[in-house]
Formats: sequence, C-alpha cells, structure tokens
Amino acid sequence: MAYFWTFLITVLVTIIGKLLTPYFELLNIALLYLLPVMISAVYWGRGPSFFASLLGVLTFDFFFVPPLYSFAVYDIRYLFTFAVYLLVAIVISTMAARLRDELDKAVKSERLTLALYELSRQIAVVTDLHPLFERFVNAIADIIDGKIILLLSDPGNDKLSEAASSPPGIVLASENERGIAQWVLEYGQRAGKGTGIIRESPTLFMPVKAEDRTLAVLAVTPEIEGEPVSPAQYQMLEAFANLIAVGLIRQRLSQEADKARWLSESEKLHTALLNSVSHEIRTPLASITGAVTGLIDDAVIDHKSREILLRTIKEEAQRMNRFTSNLLDMTRLESGMLKPNEDWCDMQDIIGVSIREVHDLLQNHPLQVHIPADLPLIKADFALIEHVLINLLENAIKYSPPQGEITISVQQQGKELLVNVINAGPAIPMADRKYIFDKFYRLHASESRAGIGLGLSICKGIIEAHKGKIWLESSERNINSFIISLPIPDQPAPPISIVKGEENAV
Amino acid sequence: MPSDGARVLVIDDEKQIRRMLNISLTATGYNVAEASTGHDGLNQAAIFHPDVIILDLGLPDCDGKDIISKLREWTQIPIIILSVREKENEKIGALDAGADDYITKPFSMGELLARIRVALRHSAKAEDEPVLAFGEITMDIARRIVTIRGKELRLTPTEYEILKYLALQADRVITHRQLLRAIWGPNYQDHTHYLRIYIAQLRHKIEADPSQPRYILTEPGVGYRLVKDSSDVQGNS
Repeated sequence: MAYFWTFLITVLVTIIGKLLTPYFELLNIALLYLLPVMISAVYWGRGPSFFASLLGVLTFDFFFVPPLYSFAVYDIRYLFTFAVYLLVAIVISTMAARLRDELDKAVKSERLTLALYELSRQIAVVTDLHPLFERFVNAIADIIDGKIILLLSDPGNDKLSEAASSPPGIVLASENERGIAQWVLEYGQRAGKGTGIIRESPTLFMPVKAEDRTLAVLAVTPEIEGEPVSPAQYQMLEAFANLIAVGLIRQRLSQEADKARWLSESEKLHTALLNSVSHEIRTPLASITGAVTGLIDDAVIDHKSREILLRTIKEEAQRMNRFTSNLLDMTRLESGMLKPNEDWCDMQDIIGVSIREVHDLLQNHPLQVHIPADLPLIKADFALIEHVLINLLENAIKYSPPQGEITISVQQQGKELLVNVINAGPAIPMADRKYIFDKFYRLHASESRAGIGLGLSICKGIIEAHKGKIWLESSERNINSFIISLPIPDQPAPPISIVKGEENAV
Repeated sequence: MPSDGARVLVIDDEKQIRRMLNISLTATGYNVAEASTGHDGLNQAAIFHPDVIILDLGLPDCDGKDIISKLREWTQIPIIILSVREKENEKIGALDAGADDYITKPFSMGELLARIRVALRHSAKAEDEPVLAFGEITMDIARRIVTIRGKELRLTPTEYEILKYLALQADRVITHRQLLRAIWGPNYQDHTHYLRIYIAQLRHKIEADPSQPRYILTEPGVGYRLVKDSSDVQGNS
C-alpha cells in the first residue's frame, strides 16, 4: 500500500513538473522529486522512501531529460545531477526514517508509562487481583512480542501455577520449563534466555520479589528466537515485576488481617459458647440429679411431691433436648451445612405441628390462631420453618406473664406470606432491639431466665436461607410482635383428579 | 397391659438405651431380646422369632436401611425405627425400605408402647373391617359413607380415598410417597403439593380447628398419621 501511494505521489509530481516546464529550469524541477522521498520517509519508513528516490531518478530522466521519453542521456552532466539527487534523497530518507523510529519509540514508551501508571494505581485498590494480572501480561506482550505467562506460588506448598497469560489460556511448554521456573522461585534469580543460567532456553524467567521473598515468576518467550532481550525491555519487565509484587504483598497482608480478625472473633464466640453451654447444661442436670436422688433415697414419700419431682425431670430433660437441637442447628448454619430441603408446604400445617410441639409449655397461656382460608402454598423446608416457629413460640411463652395471651396470625401481602407471633408482656427495650437477632445476645432483664440467646439468631439464619425476612415490629404498647415474611412462589398446577368430573371444592 | 408376652427384639448399639428399653418393656409384660450390632440383630431375628423389632438407625457396623431390606427378604415382622430429629431423609429411606413406623429420640416410653401396640395390632389382623371408627368419625367402607357426630360428611372421591387409606392404617405413619403412590400412582409420587392441598381440605371438613388438628397429624418432613385416639399417640404424660 505504501509503495502504491509513493508511486501515486511521484505521478502527481511528474504532472506538476510538466506543467511548470515552460517557466522553470530543469534543475529546479529535479528538486520537486525530493518531495515524494520526504513524504514517504516520514509516513512509511525507509523502504518506500528508497523506492521513491529510485522512481524519481527514472521518471525525471524519462520525462524531462532530453531526449524526452527515453532513458538515454545526451548531456553527460546529467549523470552527475542524478548522483547528487540520489545521495540527497538517501540521506533525507535515512534521517526521516530514524526520526520516525524515535517517534514510534516515544509513543510506545508513553503508552507503556501510561499502562504502568494505570496498573500501579489499580493494584493499590482492587481486591481481586486476577483480572488485573490479565492486563499485566497483555501490557507486557505490548512491549515484547511473544508468550507471557505469570506464575503464582501457592503459599501452602510453594508450587507454581499459571495465573494469567498472553495469549490467554496457555501454560508452560514443558516440565523442564516448570523446573526452571521453580528454581527461580526458590533462589530469586533470573534464569533462561539471555541470562547466565540456562541461557539456551527460549524463555526468560524473571522473579517477582518483595521483601526477600519470591512470590511469583514471570515467563517471557519472545516470538523471534534469535533476538536478545534488550536492556530497555529488561527494565520494563523489572518495573512490571515490582508492581505485581506490590499487589501480591498487599493482598497477602489484607488476607492475614482478615484471618486475624476472624480468629479473634471466633475466639470470643468460643468463650461465650462455652460459658453458656456449661451453664445451660448444668442447670437442668442439677435439677434432674437433685430430683432423682430424692426419689432413689426415698427421701420424698408423699405421692404429690414425687409426681412434681418426676415432672421436673421430664421438663428439664426436654429443655436440654431443645437446647441441643438449637446448638446443632447453629453449628450447621455456621458451617453452611444447613441447606433448606425445600418442598411445597402449607403454613397452617407447619403452625399446627409447632403448636403441638410446645403444647406442654402452653398450659398457662391462652392461644389465638388466625389463619385465612385458601392460603397459597410456599416452598420451604417444613422442619426448619417449624423450628423457627417453635423458637418464636417458646420465646413468646418465656417472656410473657402467666395467663398472658399469645397470638399467631398469618396474612398474604402481595408476593409475601407474613406470619406474626405476638405475645403480651413488657415490650423489648428499644436499646435491645438492634441486637436481639445476634448470637448469644440476651436481654439484660432476662439474665435469670434459661436460654443462651441462640434461638432468634437461628430463626434469622433459617429464614434468610429461605430468602425471607424476620423482624420485631416496634410497638409502644405492651406487646412484642415478631414477624416472618416468606416469598410466595408461583403456585403449582392443581392436582389431577383421580375420578373423572371430580370437583375440588366441597 | 401385659400383651400376652409378645416378643420384642431391640437392636441398638447404645448399652444405656438397650437397658432402659429392656427394663421398661419387660415391666410392661413383653419378652425382650437385645442385639448390639446389625449383624447380631439379623441373627437374633432368625433365632428369637420376635413379634416386633425396634431398630436404631445409627448402628456403627452397618446401614439401618440394609438391615431392613435383609429382614424384608424373608419376614414381615413389624419394624419400628429409632431416629433423631435432624435426619428426615434417613427416616423416609427406612420407611420406604419397609419399616413400619418410627419414633424420634428422645422419646417417651408411652409413645413407644403405643407404637408397639399399633404395630402388633396391624400385623395380627387383615384390614377388612366394613366400618372404621375414630373419634367422632365413622367410615362405612362398603357404602362409602362418612359421618361426623352422626351427620353425613360430603367428601370428594379423592378426599375419601385419602381418608380411607389413612384410616385403614390408623396410628401408623404413612410417608408422602406411600400415600401419593396409593392414590395417584407411581408417576405422582413426588407431587407433595397434592397432599398439602387435599390434607388441608380434609382438615377443614373433619377437624374442629384445622390449625390444631386432632385426627390427621403431620409428621414433619416424613408424612402423615391418622390417630384414632389422640391420648394414645401423645401419651407422654
């Protein structure tokens, strides 16, 4: 293409020269032919400008030097003119082409500086480094044509693995190369192509170092095998390697900080758990042991007292059982093992089972249940939602005065099913409301009562696993109202009838 | 009620549980044998000729489901399984493998005795009573008439079939799968929502308070149980 344009310009110059012939000397016209040489040198480099010089001499000879339209020359002096012209043209084109190269280099280095700057800025803020690594290797591939692979070392076992590459998806060519890379990781020195170590390898391995530790290795395989890596390219690679090191160090530090924070948090939890567990197990154990020894030793003989002791044993055992269930659920929630086993459920059914479960505790509390007919089905884990309701009912019972009324009501609100468990009793203080769903949080007023503050946090965990919400409705009156909201999915197709023409309704 | 010395085999690896069951069951008049492993349990089942087997699903030496399948190869002795709350799938698996009923640990002796009585009753007689009665409800199977407190109850054919199936196996747990297969056939055995809809309808017709049912009880995650006499199942007081 460049040669074509050069040719076109020469044709143009020839036409202009022809037009000017009557008014100018032939030598002046010869100068015109330096124009295409210069233009092509600046825009297209050395090759086209040499071509322009040669074409210029021939065209000038053919069209202007007598005899016209022939390459023959009458006046021998013109040969001298040609020689001077060619010399000038070559000097010009060489100079212009060098200028162009310098410009190219300047542009490239500016782009590189920009890329380095941009990457250095991002590496200080981005948390996920992997997309950034892709850009790193691409930027490097911009300076050195070839394959670039970034290998990160796994902190656990110091094994290298490919983290990013250009072109994407390639891996080290051989086990041999992996061996060299591993060596570079261990000793923190360059190796491979153009270095003192294993220089016959086609790949250059650069360590990515920070604070005496080698964190990664950069493997660079230039496209052209013979060409050595220039000092300037080395410098660039060094700059990139440093940036990558900064990023890696930053990531590692923040991970370590996270871990430390998590450890101290879990230590606190452990202590809290241990304290409450020992309290919560010891209390019923003490009652049971006391009651049982009383019975065994025949210390209590009257029938009524024996009956009371036996009931105590039973109730305390049940309490321990509920506590164990909660503890188990908490552990499963925490470890992510609790996955709702979702199936179609009827909320009325779940409420019925929950009431049956806390039947014994409900003796002294009137219970109101309001459930509208034709409730839509929900998709939920029956046993888990049941567990939530049992916890809420137990709380309602525990925190209401004797004979205090407890109400369960259900309503549909758009695409949500709301279940409301209300108990009469002193409203939970404003200051406590924020924390009641936290693990091990207990109301100050309730320290004398049994429980370790797991119930509500389990409820929250279970409800959130169902993409629902749970909250305490603020109310200035003397009631507490806990509300669960669960999404109502599109209803399943109605059951097929087993008899032709059966109507579903009454 | 000393049930004419019916023989009970207890298969459980926990010594305490075996001892507790042995003492309580013997005191009630049963004849008890113990096995601490699944392997031993299978042997005992052949030698001891139990009338009912109580099987713990958490045996260390083998899977409870395998024991049930092996037993079912040669005998229809009722099997009651002991399980824990968290393991619904384990219970369902065991029931579908042929166990007759389950009870969740910790359980009350009253509950367990009720389960044993039901299991023995069912294995003793064929279900061909023409009229089933539970609480205030009677079902005349021959005439397809259901009455509640003497008044005739109008049920759709599907509701009727479900109620009949549950009533014929009163006091026993019926898994969702068993009920769906019996009413709609094997292609519908996973359509749990059919049951949710029909059981809700049935409860509205036969229960005084559908939110606190007395007859058709839900076994969470497992299935349903129709109770003839509510004091029998909730017999923990």
